[in-house]
Amino acid sequence: MKCIRAAALSKEYGDTRAVDRIDLNVEPGQSFGFLGANGAGKSTTIKMLTTLIRPTSGSLNILGVDALRDPLRVRRRIGVVLQQPSYEPTLSVERSMTKYGMMWGVPGSESRSRAERLMRDFGLADLRKKRNEDLSIGQRRRVQVAREFMHDMDLLFLDEPTVGLDPAARRELLDYLKEKAASGLTIFYTTHILSEADYLCDNIAIIQKGRILASDTPAALKKRLGRQKTITLRTNADDHAVSAALAGIPDCVVQTGMGASITIETAKPEHILMEVLGRLRKNGIKMREISAEAATLEDIFLETIRDASGSETG
Amino acid sequence: MHPVLRLVNRNLTVSLNPGFLIWQVLFPLIYIFVVGFAYTSLIPGVTYNGEHVTYPAFLATGMIGFNIMNSTLVSGLIIWNDRRHGMFEQIMSGPYTRMQYVLANICTIGTVGMISAALIVGVGYPVFQESVEFTLYTIPLIVFASVTGSVLFGSLAAIISTRLTSSEGFNVVINTTFIFLAFASTAFYPAEGAPEGLGAVFYFNPLTYIVDAIRAGIFGGITQAVFVEMAALSAIAATLFVVAAKMMTKVDF
Repeated sequence: MKCIRAAALSKEYGDTRAVDRIDLNVEPGQSFGFLGANGAGKSTTIKMLTTLIRPTSGSLNILGVDALRDPLRVRRRIGVVLQQPSYEPTLSVERSMTKYGMMWGVPGSESRSRAERLMRDFGLADLRKKRNEDLSIGQRRRVQVAREFMHDMDLLFLDEPTVGLDPAARRELLDYLKEKAASGLTIFYTTHILSEADYLCDNIAIIQKGRILASDTPAALKKRLGRQKTITLRTNADDHAVSAALAGIPDCVVQTGMGASITIETAKPEHILMEVLGRLRKNGIKMREISAEAATLEDIFLETIRDASGSETG
Repeated sequence: MHPVLRLVNRNLTVSLNPGFLIWQVLFPLIYIFVVGFAYTSLIPGVTYNGEHVTYPAFLATGMIGFNIMNSTLVSGLIIWNDRRHGMFEQIMSGPYTRMQYVLANICTIGTVGMISAALIVGVGYPVFQESVEFTLYTIPLIVFASVTGSVLFGSLAAIISTRLTSSEGFNVVINTTFIFLAFASTAFYPAEGAPEGLGAVFYFNPLTYIVDAIRAGIFGGITQAVFVEMAALSAIAATLFVVAAKMMTKVDF
């Protein structure tokens, strides 16, 4: 049984199609990353998956339940961290955690012990008596995420949960989620911070203008779509000499600095590199340093979106 | 615990903070003990149902209805605050239906209305005790008027909460509604003494019906007019409740 099975899911607002016939398949225990630029359709999708809004068309099965027929049954088994902040301004951190537990039917003593543990895990113990309205944006975000773990769930949706968090808190949250995923929790994670998806997710879909452009494991996506490689060479010569030596070679950019450096961005790195090295040797230019970078998820994301935009305009 | 009760529990925790309770008692206290007694030199008394009633006693009974309106409009802000602070969406993504959310809010508002009414009865009792004529029939009337009034104003606040998105707009509408309803009613003065047109306006105001019913319950003298007012109050409350529930189910995310 799939945790999420969406087929031809669409959402229209008047003449605008926010999500356009997307298919999603998420396996139990998977951390699924849903990537897209702002306005790509990530939040609309997550709102449909969490039954907050009804799709215009398509079918949706969550945890074996027809989500369009029985949304309440789905909601009883999922956790949701929304993109927008959600908090009760006048309640203290501790109170908002235990009240949230109560709202999910968690017995009082269990609720208190869970709140204790979560406040410790999320670095909120010192803030327990502070009212939510007195917290910083990042602290409030931590409470919002921590609070969701007050209840049991089979599937957790997180819509850009690290917005407002500092780098340390961001890493701590990702580690916490990794731990939860390792213990069997299925995670659906939307973000436009690609390094997060790379770190956390074992499957990824890229959405643009409401359509899924690619979906696979990060490694497979890199292999399939990561045509570009970046090779950087540093030389001891000045930029004029290097530019003259490399004139006519495609995909080479010469930058000035402490000796010229050459950046090669190409899908055929070996071929270009041989040409560059030959010309440098011929002109008596020596290399000080050479480095190569494989495509990152960010490169793939940008490339995928660029390709999609190109094919649309072309 | 039933989902509606869980939400009522949460709503009461959120809305019954010390500041709210102090405000709920302090505000009417100022009216009763400052305005009421200060106006005694201008208004020595009011004739109510053929009996002489002191102005502070008249005002204190009016303050019960006034406080129900005040507290329920304020607790109706739960919906506004939930929408503003993302809790409406959060709750709706949890184990609740919209109807449960609406019902829980109405129950909360009714409870807050009753607490407010009880607070003012307790605080104002020394002022109107000399004129009290409770009977077995009048207490249920007071309770019924209080609960129906709470549902009415709570539904009104819910409707306003669902229609407006800006804080400024919401505050302007709520405050204007509050001031109009408070002062164009019989809470502060009898309709009989007001200019003819204004007196008629009082009877387009549901607060007048609540106040009249509560006064009749406290001072005795339940007339046919009070029953007509109660019927009108119930009809308005039921209509507003249905409208509020419909609008709540249509709130989009």
